[in-house]
Amino acid sequence: MTAVHQFVPTLAPHDAVSTHYLAVQDALRAAGYRSEIYAHEVKPALRRRGRHYRAYKGPRAGEPTWLCYHSSVGSPVGDFVLARDEPLLLDYHNITPAELFLRWEPAVAGQLSLGRRQLARLAPRARLGLADSRFNATELSALGCERTAVVPIMLDVSTLDRDADAGTARRLDAVRERGGANWLFVGRIAPNKAQHDVVKAFHAYRRFFDPRAELHLVGGSSSHRYLAALHDFVGALGLAGCVHLTGPVPDAQLCAYYRHSDVLVVCSDHEGFCLPLIEAMHAGLPVVAYAAAAVPETLGDGGLLLDTKEPCTVAAAVARVLRDDRLREQLVAAGRRRLGAFDVGRSRERLLEAVGATVGPP
Amino acid sequence: MSDETVDIARVRAEIAAEVRARRAAGEYPASLERELDELFARFAPKEVSESLGDALERSEEAAAIAPEIPVASNNPLFGLVKRVLARLLGWYHVFVAQQVTAATVAVNHVLRRLVDKVTRLERATGDAARARESLARVVPTRDDASWEDAVTAALRGVTGRVLVGECGDGRLLAALSAAGLDAYGVEPRPELAETALAQGLEVRLDDVPGHLGTVAPGDLAGIVLRGCVERMPAGELVALADLAAAALAPGGRVVVASTAPPAWGRERTEVEADLAAGRPLHAATWQHLLAERGFPNCAVTTIGGRPLEPVAAGAPDADVLNANLARISDVLFGPDAYVLVATRDR
Repeated sequence: MTAVHQFVPTLAPHDAVSTHYLAVQDALRAAGYRSEIYAHEVKPALRRRGRHYRAYKGPRAGEPTWLCYHSSVGSPVGDFVLARDEPLLLDYHNITPAELFLRWEPAVAGQLSLGRRQLARLAPRARLGLADSRFNATELSALGCERTAVVPIMLDVSTLDRDADAGTARRLDAVRERGGANWLFVGRIAPNKAQHDVVKAFHAYRRFFDPRAELHLVGGSSSHRYLAALHDFVGALGLAGCVHLTGPVPDAQLCAYYRHSDVLVVCSDHEGFCLPLIEAMHAGLPVVAYAAAAVPETLGDGGLLLDTKEPCTVAAAVARVLRDDRLREQLVAAGRRRLGAFDVGRSRERLLEAVGATVGPP
Repeated sequence: MSDETVDIARVRAEIAAEVRARRAAGEYPASLERELDELFARFAPKEVSESLGDALERSEEAAAIAPEIPVASNNPLFGLVKRVLARLLGWYHVFVAQQVTAATVAVNHVLRRLVDKVTRLERATGDAARARESLARVVPTRDDASWEDAVTAALRGVTGRVLVGECGDGRLLAALSAAGLDAYGVEPRPELAETALAQGLEVRLDDVPGHLGTVAPGDLAGIVLRGCVERMPAGELVALADLAAAALAPGGRVVVASTAPPAWGRERTEVEADLAAGRPLHAATWQHLLAERGFPNCAVTTIGGRPLEPVAAGAPDADVLNANLARISDVLFGPDAYVLVATRDR
């Protein structure tokens, strides 16, 4: 039997990339490969699915063994894998450019820089580079990875089909009943996601189009300093009553936000994939997004892409999407078609095809 | 839903046109984006400066580590446990923090000595930054009249944001806005920026490289470079070409409006000629720099110049005389300026 073991920085529940690791393990095992997950940190809820990377003792006698390293941040696991002799697969989920964090969270910037340095050493060694997007695959190729394959992150968005939280839905509907629109942004509060630019556009929207609109920034925080600045900025603009920083929310509330909002607005400077775009397309929520990094590739024609995030332009674009029924319906329909490209079954097939062609049969 | 498909590219163009029209009508204040940027900047940490002194200051600020153990928790029980642990382990955290602080202070001490040495070296070799500041106070505002038409023509049909850097008192910027372009300016000298702002133009107080460094890749459809391109050192102009190339979208245009090098020597004041760290580049040099950065298509329009009349072809030694006259013409009476437009690959 051939073994393909995954090495990851962190294995945690309710985390998009961790869900992907688990799906990869399931796919590899179902195909007949032996596959374990080794991580620097395994959260208690997933102790049965993964173990500490130092517990890896090397290949079993006579068993061809490959290591698959998932790169998204600097980690001691990266150095551990670099020191091993087993042939390597590299699954790249993108590393946010450190400079976007430098003035906010220097320690995080340091970790991101470390991740980039590790990636530069791992890429030429990898026999196959797997990437969530063509955008990521291009980076791998530029770093000297000779063979790449695009395998979108494997996520089951049907978790959004569950019952929506009634209280959240009521609050969002109340905004609509007052004649206002609900703007939504989903993702961690982080400088690369530029929520302050969403707030700027929202400020312009309320001023010029819809004084009853509300903005919901849903997600935990990756930077306390950025979060604090965002709070202060919202307060200084007099928007404290209509911009809601919810923090992390349970799935039922997330469902309610997707289903009862009017538009998802994304102004990120850097996204390696941007999962909320997929979730919005699944929920039938129109998207207005700034075309940066992997956003255009993930969104395709499933939303309105802008080449600027100048506040008045974003505000005018949202206003157009919300008042033009035909445009909105077309975007939502295109979004639903676009989802086909991220079908979990298809991603699994692509993964096994690419891995099989490199590693050989189980 | 109607069967007819909405043309998304057209929707985007209509949105851009609507924004331009409302901005021109004064409905969208030209200064709104700048005001929002400035307001957010009040709450954001300082940009990480390239200056060695600033970097060292940040490093020294970060060197003193206070062992503040986080004890807050949403769960009262966890909060209690954290407080007890903090109390029990406080001495250990203080000990570790003191060790780390001692190490970073030692490193900073070495860095401080190095910075002092570099500073002394810079003074000994001439402080370029101070010369530049002094120069900025005497450089006259360029008269854009001679190249206004050529620059406007070069940007015709561009949709998306156009940066005019430096925009001076705003004459060229106003002309581009009047031609229907979504143009904004960057100007490092406050008094000139204020003059431009007073005309209702959208202007940021910044230098051109500094501003371009904050523009997201591919965010601009056009960039006009003027003023600064006549006095920056060659290395900085090469870096400026990098920044411009990064900021432009595929199909975007760079327009360089510059005094021609021979004319620069004729027209500059003595103070300017002595203090300027750099000189304007020849159009061919810009063409070369931009071609290397993905701008294969380039056109140059020369402006002004009063070439000497060649002698009649049949005159004795006419070939030699005309060759020499052409050289003298180039040096003394050649073109005053040029406008170069380069288009990025799609």
